[in-house]
Amino acid sequence: MSDYDAIVVGSGAGGGVAAAVLAEAGKSVLLLERGRALSFEQVGRDHLRNQRLAVYGHNAGPDIEGNPRTLDPASFPIPVGKQQGAQRILRPHEPGYQNNAACVGSGTRVYAGQAWRFMPQDFRMASEYGVPEGSSLADWPISYADLLPYYERVEWEVGVSGDHSSMTHLPAYDMPYPMPALPLPQKSKVHQSGLAALGWQSLRVPRLINSVGYNGRPACINCQHCVGFACPVDAKNGSHNTTIPRALQSGNCSLRSEVMVERLMCSGGGTVTGVHIINELGLRESIRADVVLLSCGAVETARLLLNSATAQEPSGIGNQSDQVGRHLQGHYYPGAVGIFPEKMYDGLGPGCSVATCEFNHGNAGLIGGGMLTDEDIVTPITFWKRDYPPDAPRWGLAAKQFMRENFCRINDIKGPVQEIPNPDARVQVNPAVRDRYGIPVAHLSGTSHPETVRTATFMRERAIEWLRASGAVKVWGQQPRQYLSGGQHQAGTCRMGEDPAHSVVDSFCRVHSHSNLFIADASPHVSNGGFNPVETIMALAWRTTENIVASW
Amino acid sequence: MSALFDECQLRCLAALLDTLIPPDDFPGAWDAGVGDYLQRQLQGDLADLGSSYHDFLRCLDAAARHLHKRDFADLALDARSELLHKVENHQITASWMLEPGKFFPKIVEHCGEGYYSDPGNGGNREGIAWQMIGFEVRG
Repeated sequence: MSDYDAIVVGSGAGGGVAAAVLAEAGKSVLLLERGRALSFEQVGRDHLRNQRLAVYGHNAGPDIEGNPRTLDPASFPIPVGKQQGAQRILRPHEPGYQNNAACVGSGTRVYAGQAWRFMPQDFRMASEYGVPEGSSLADWPISYADLLPYYERVEWEVGVSGDHSSMTHLPAYDMPYPMPALPLPQKSKVHQSGLAALGWQSLRVPRLINSVGYNGRPACINCQHCVGFACPVDAKNGSHNTTIPRALQSGNCSLRSEVMVERLMCSGGGTVTGVHIINELGLRESIRADVVLLSCGAVETARLLLNSATAQEPSGIGNQSDQVGRHLQGHYYPGAVGIFPEKMYDGLGPGCSVATCEFNHGNAGLIGGGMLTDEDIVTPITFWKRDYPPDAPRWGLAAKQFMRENFCRINDIKGPVQEIPNPDARVQVNPAVRDRYGIPVAHLSGTSHPETVRTATFMRERAIEWLRASGAVKVWGQQPRQYLSGGQHQAGTCRMGEDPAHSVVDSFCRVHSHSNLFIADASPHVSNGGFNPVETIMALAWRTTENIVASW
Repeated sequence: MSALFDECQLRCLAALLDTLIPPDDFPGAWDAGVGDYLQRQLQGDLADLGSSYHDFLRCLDAAARHLHKRDFADLALDARSELLHKVENHQITASWMLEPGKFFPKIVEHCGEGYYSDPGNGGNREGIAWQMIGFEVRG
C-alpha cells in the first residue's frame, strides 16, 4: 500500500513542474526538498555570500558545513578546497564543487531566469558534426518539435517576457511570448549598436520575469539585485511562486522541506517502491509511492541513484551499463570585459537584455558554439573581484579613483558554450567521506573535452569583437582553460537514449531498468545547448510528467 | 575597544587600510568602516588569519622604525605607500614572521570587500562607497 501516488525529489525547475502536473491531474504527490523555504529577507542581499559571488558562503544553500564533495585534483587547474589523501575536499561555496542552490525552488529562487529554447540543431549534435575522438557526443532521441508544445507551456504558464520576432535563429514562433520584453538599459542600447555595426543577429533576451503584471503578480521594478538574489516584488518566476503553488493549491500535493533522501526503496523486481529519507528531525522514515521522480540536479540525482545500490543492482539503480554519473557537463562561460568612453550604467535592472545567436552553429572547424549576451548588473564587489582590469592599480588613491571613474563605464559580454560531452567527466560516490546525514558524498573527476575549450576560445574572440564594435576602447578577460565543468547549469549524468547500453533513461525520461522511476532535471540532457538550460529543463519535465499521467 | 587588536595595533591597522584606500573627498577605508568589517570577519570566516594580521602589523611597524625611525602610523601617505610597494614586491623579507609579499594581496582583497560590499557586512558605512562609484540601490 503506497502513501502517495508519486514522490518528487527536489523542488527546482524540473521538480516544481513535475509536482504541478501530477497534482493537477489528481495524483497525490509528496514533494521533497533538502533545503529550506526561504523568504526574501532570508535570501538577503549579502554581496559576499550569494549565488553569484560566494566568497564566504551562499544565500540559498546548501549550508557550508556538512555538505562536502570530493574532487580529483586533476579536474581543476588550481588547488581548491583542502587536500585529503589523493583528493580535494570541497565545501559548497568553493570552486569546483558544482553547486546548485538548496532551498524550496532551488536555483529558480535566485536565478536570472533567462528563458531560452534550445535550437533544433542542439538535439542532433552528432548528426550535425560527427563525434570527435574521446567524446560521447550523441543525438537526443527527441527533437525540437517534440519539446515545442512544452516550451510554449513554460512560456505562458510559468511566464516569460521577450520579443518572439527577434528570435530569428529559431523556427518562427506559433505563439508570441505572453509579455513584452523588459525595458532596455543604456548599456544594452550601446551593445545593440555594436551588433548592428557587425551585422550580427540582435535579439531581446527572453526572461522568466514579469515585464507587466502576470498571473497575479506584479511587473519587475528594475532593481539592481536580480541574478543571485530573490526578487523584492515577486516578479521573477521560479518554481517557488509558480509551479509549486499550483501543485499545493490543487490540494493534492504536500511539500516537505529540510528532508534528505538517503536512498531509493526497491522491490528488486524492476520497480522502485518509494524512498528512505532522513526527516526534519534527523530521523529515518520510509515513504512508499507508485511512482518516483528525481529532480535533484545532475550531481545529486546521479549520487542518489549510485547510493541506492542493492544486491540485485550492486553498482547503483539504473547503472547496469555504467552510465549513471558520466558525461557531466555544464557551461563554459567565455567572454570579455571592456571599458567604454561613455557611461554605460544607468541602474536599470535586471540588465541582461540583448544577445546574439550568430555563433551557436555553423562556425567553420568548430562543433557547435554558443550564445553571447550582455549581463545583469554586477554588484560593486563582484566588479572589483571579477571585472577589474588586471593591469589597473589594485590599491592606493589611484585604485580608488579608478573605481570611481569606471564602475559606470565598464561592461562585459559573455555566454554559455555548448559543451562536448566527455564520458570521463563524472559523478561517483565516495564512501570514505560522508555528509551531515552520514551519506556517501559525490566524488567528481575528469575534465571538459578539448573541443569545448576550443569553442570557448573562439567565443571569447567574438565577445571581444562585439565589445569593440560597441565602442570599447580597451578589452580584457581570461583565456579559457581546461577543467571540470558542471555548476548551476549541470547536466548529462543520466543521459537519454533508446539503447540501454549507452543511456540511463528512455525518451520519456523513464529509467530503462525501472518502469516507475523517472528523472525530471537536466541529467537526461544528451548535450546541453549553448544556452541557459532552465526552460528546457522545465519543458522536458512537463513532457515527461504528462506522459506519466497519460499512461497511468 | 577591539577584542582582537590593542590600541597600538589598531593605529597601525587604520594606517594600513587608509593606505590601501586613502581618504579624498570620499572617506578612506577606516572611516568607511573597513576596520569594523575586518574585525567581524577575523572573528568569523577569517578566524584563522588573526595571527597573520598580528604578525603583519608588527612587522610593518618594525620596518617603518628601521627605515624611518617612526611607527608606520606616523608616516605620511607617500612613505606608507612606498613601504607597502616594497612589501608587495617582496623587497622586505628579513625577520618577518610570515612572507609579507604573499599575505599582502589578501589584505588588499579584504579591504576591497569591506569597502565595496554591502553595508550589512560591517563596512561601506551608509553605502558611501556605492555613492562614490554611482551604484544606486532602488527596490
